Amino acid sequence: MEYKAPVEAYAGVVREVTVGKAKKSMKIGGENILPLHSFDEGSNPNPARFALEVLDMTPQDWPDHLVEPFRDAVSDPVTWAKKCQGFGVDAVSLYLMSTDPAVKDTPADESAALAREVAESIDVPLILYGSGDETKDAEVLPRVAEVCDGLNLLIGPVLKENYEVVGRAILDHGHTAIAQSPLDINLLKEMNVKLGKFFPPERIVIDPLSSALGYGMEYSFSLIERVKQIGIMTKDSMTMMPIIANLGFECWKTKQAKENREQGLLWEGITALSLLMAGANVLVLRHPESLRLLKETMEVR
Amino acid sequence: MVIIGENIHVIANAVSTAISQRDPKVIQDLARAQTEAGAHYLDLNVGPMKKDTEETMEWLVNAAQEVTELPLSIDTLNPVAMEAGLKACKNRPLLNSASGRTNSKEQMLPLAQKYNCDVVISVMTDKGMPPDVESKIESIMDTVAHANDLGIATEDIWVDPILLPISTAGEGQRFTVLNLEFIEILEDVLPGIKSTVGLSNTSNGVPEDLRPHLNRTYLVMLDRNGLYSAIADPLDKELMGLIKGEMPEVVELIYKTMDGEELDLSGLPEKQVEYVKTARVLMGQTLYSDAWLDS
Repeated sequence: MEYKAPVEAYAGVVREVTVGKAKKSMKIGGENILPLHSFDEGSNPNPARFALEVLDMTPQDWPDHLVEPFRDAVSDPVTWAKKCQGFGVDAVSLYLMSTDPAVKDTPADESAALAREVAESIDVPLILYGSGDETKDAEVLPRVAEVCDGLNLLIGPVLKENYEVVGRAILDHGHTAIAQSPLDINLLKEMNVKLGKFFPPERIVIDPLSSALGYGMEYSFSLIERVKQIGIMTKDSMTMMPIIANLGFECWKTKQAKENREQGLLWEGITALSLLMAGANVLVLRHPESLRLLKETMEVR
Repeated sequence: MVIIGENIHVIANAVSTAISQRDPKVIQDLARAQTEAGAHYLDLNVGPMKKDTEETMEWLVNAAQEVTELPLSIDTLNPVAMEAGLKACKNRPLLNSASGRTNSKEQMLPLAQKYNCDVVISVMTDKGMPPDVESKIESIMDTVAHANDLGIATEDIWVDPILLPISTAGEGQRFTVLNLEFIEILEDVLPGIKSTVGLSNTSNGVPEDLRPHLNRTYLVMLDRNGLYSAIADPLDKELMGLIKGEMPEVVELIYKTMDGEELDLSGLPEKQVEYVKTARVLMGQTLYSDAWLDS
């Protein structure tokens, strides 16, 4: 008797989210199939997107093998961002690290001007992360949204502590939001429900927090997997959003990545590959060489 | 449904202060209020009891008995306090609780036999909490057999499957579903046995004002599956009304949700919609979040 493999069809569809404007735009998400389930019914219209991260200040604790590809550019975020484009990125991610009161407490106006300059000097969409300090972000991110009005940046993190003010500014100025919650599916859904009360869900991207290999990556993996399953299989509207894995930051904090170049590249590459397999739609890395390795590995498949 | 009033609990500051200062008023007010509200038993939860164990327990039992005729549920893991409590009871008490742990089998279970009382036995064992329905059943059958050997009749045993908070990251909903199933099959595997749950555990960690929604709905669901009793808040009028059959339309909707029926919520009053949404998260049909009523 001939064997016929079972084919599943799914009820849910991840919302297709557009980031950026006109020629500088990309679509993410949109799949109605689980990651790597190419044998099932459904499709993923948009491949995973990759971004490299740029800091708004000269990196202080980066190992030399991470600084090396950008050595002449790390003191100027605009030059650095332009340089990223040479490495085949779909987007650039600007991290406003210096705005953190514990770092440099850079004023909102200054950061907003920088964000606009970076966004205008590159040919790909801009992802923008605030420092994560919920109080300072509530000043900085709305100012960024205003100054970059209409450019449709992907802005976050929108947190439960500041979603009303930050979310409102992102909405009013035509951007897309990154809703972040701390590695917990129930809190993740709650965040989206609350934000979704005034914010269109088709302009939300989920950041579940991406831990590095050896530092809890399996939690991030399970969570991303679960978000996809609940969205695509049970059609839960509040989890049917694309996912961003902001992992470069977490990987390059580790002792292992700092120790030597090869180990660092693999640390970031393996973390990215794992989260990609779990279902991440956008991945933010730091080292162009680990990005190249990741793409090469995907092509082998 | 037998309701064991939960309000005399050492976690409440007023109760804890009243016990340490030997001030009967707070205890007796709570005992009277719960009795009038229709409780069938009163739970006296004294916690671990580090000092003056026997004297404290005896004082507490007598304080309650001065104002209520209801039987008491002596709630402690300390066997010395337990024995003092059981000894002081005028009516046949409930020993709350024993388990399949070795020390409980050795020190608690014999007290149930000695004082000829009803006994709550949880599914817990030396290995901890059994993770699924099968292992819960297996563990309770072992402990019940052991209790039977000691001369405790199956009819006197109230099985506690141990409820866990629904808000436990990712896992909580699995347990709300699994415990419904456990209660449903319990009577088949151990005919004549009774059951109980610590109802408000389900909503632990949930915003305070939303907790009653979960407690009420879950009690209706457990009741349908054959639950015999619950340690719950008799002062929650809506909860008591529900199990007394005063809200048949709500119960009907909860049952339909349990059966997986597609319900059109558009024409329903807000309150009924909330019950349906709550039943859906308790059944694991939709992913739980603290904003479950808003989505």
